[in-house]
Amino acid sequence: MAVLYILIFPGFLFLAFYGTVVEFVDRKIYARLQNRKGPPWFQPVADFIKLLGKETIVPTDANATLFKALPIITVAAVTTAFLSVPVWGTQAVMPFKGDMIVVLVLLLLLPLSFFAAGWNASSMYSTIGAQRVLTQLFAYEVPLLMALIGPAILCGSWSLSDIAAFYAAKPLFALLNLPGLVIWLLAAQGKLERVPFDTPEAETEIVAGAFTEYNGRHLAFFRLAVDMELVVLPAICGAVFIPLFSANPFIGFVLFLLKTLVLLFLLTVLKAAMARLRVEQMMRFSWMVLLPLALVHLFINLIAKGLLL
Amino acid sequence: MKLADKIMTWARVKSPWVLHFNSGACNACDIEILDSLTPRFDLERFGIVLKGTPRHADVLLCTGPITMQTEERLLRIYEQMPEPKFVVAIGTCACSGGVFNGCYCIKGGTDTKLPVSAYIPGCPASPAAIIDGVVKLLGSLQE
Repeated sequence: MAVLYILIFPGFLFLAFYGTVVEFVDRKIYARLQNRKGPPWFQPVADFIKLLGKETIVPTDANATLFKALPIITVAAVTTAFLSVPVWGTQAVMPFKGDMIVVLVLLLLLPLSFFAAGWNASSMYSTIGAQRVLTQLFAYEVPLLMALIGPAILCGSWSLSDIAAFYAAKPLFALLNLPGLVIWLLAAQGKLERVPFDTPEAETEIVAGAFTEYNGRHLAFFRLAVDMELVVLPAICGAVFIPLFSANPFIGFVLFLLKTLVLLFLLTVLKAAMARLRVEQMMRFSWMVLLPLALVHLFINLIAKGLLL
Repeated sequence: MKLADKIMTWARVKSPWVLHFNSGACNACDIEILDSLTPRFDLERFGIVLKGTPRHADVLLCTGPITMQTEERLLRIYEQMPEPKFVVAIGTCACSGGVFNGCYCIKGGTDTKLPVSAYIPGCPASPAAIIDGVVKLLGSLQE
């Protein structure tokens, strides 16, 4: 049974399929907001299959094993992280104490592998992209965790499933988390390296950032990992900040789809409405705006825990 | 095996990523290429996306005649692209050398150095002609 969970639902296959759906929805909404027609529904699948069939070139200066292993590591990390995120109800497939931190650490593997990929590829553009990935990592990672600590403290558990169950039982407490929702979404946009925080892969400056030298199936799996991340981050957000759950697994699953798509819509509108920030503007925004907001949010939650619980 | 080949051809036709290289054009064709990528013409509805790096590209869009200066770079970029790859010559100069033919620093059209799959003439080639040419190239791949 555990193997089914890991490989099919809600593990690798479902996540990969839903990731391609989410990428299509993202690109379509982005196109419609720019008054374009946008790609057809099968576009992400066609891109993926085409990349699988391309020749793969490994740069001579790069370590070939690392170059080939990194895309698989990223896909594995996101899939593993998703197993502890609630999908059809308040309980995840494999919840355990402290899985919130484990999920964040697993998701941290992505930027780290992007960095390693860019650095290893030995191209000048990818090296600059890799440096920017790390620089940006220090900006968004702290608000990303701080936004989750508020709800975790109020509920008194470090497990995503426990947090979801707590807010499902007491939905009004979720109103206290609205600042956390905003912080999480903005920090997630940074983690996903999308506009306005897309300096690591700014195609007008450093061609494709850390992925400049990647091609063929390695690039396909990197893109798949990013698509999966685009599912997992809104899924965590929906589980923690939006207390819409159902005891019925089917309705719960529909609610999960709805929540992720609405959050994705917000992320896409943000992407379409903004221009790219410079790295240091991004740093300043994260440390001067997001982090103080997160601290205020934490403080409110601490007081609420003392007064109301 | 037959089915796998069919799926692969379908994917290739539906998802051509292009790279744009100016090997000595007067910039008019380049502007028209960028024009065809804008929301007005929206090449993304055919799955065409402009990429910055040859490693991601399937189709190389060449504008202008090959000059002595750019020849080496053009060949290097072509070699950096992973197989299968296609070259499209856009504009009269890329097709044949155009008015620059016979100039001491000109090597000729794109097809003097690279295997060209589609020629799109015009001075400059209009976005509609470029889209038509690329779609025809994709159609010919299906056979």
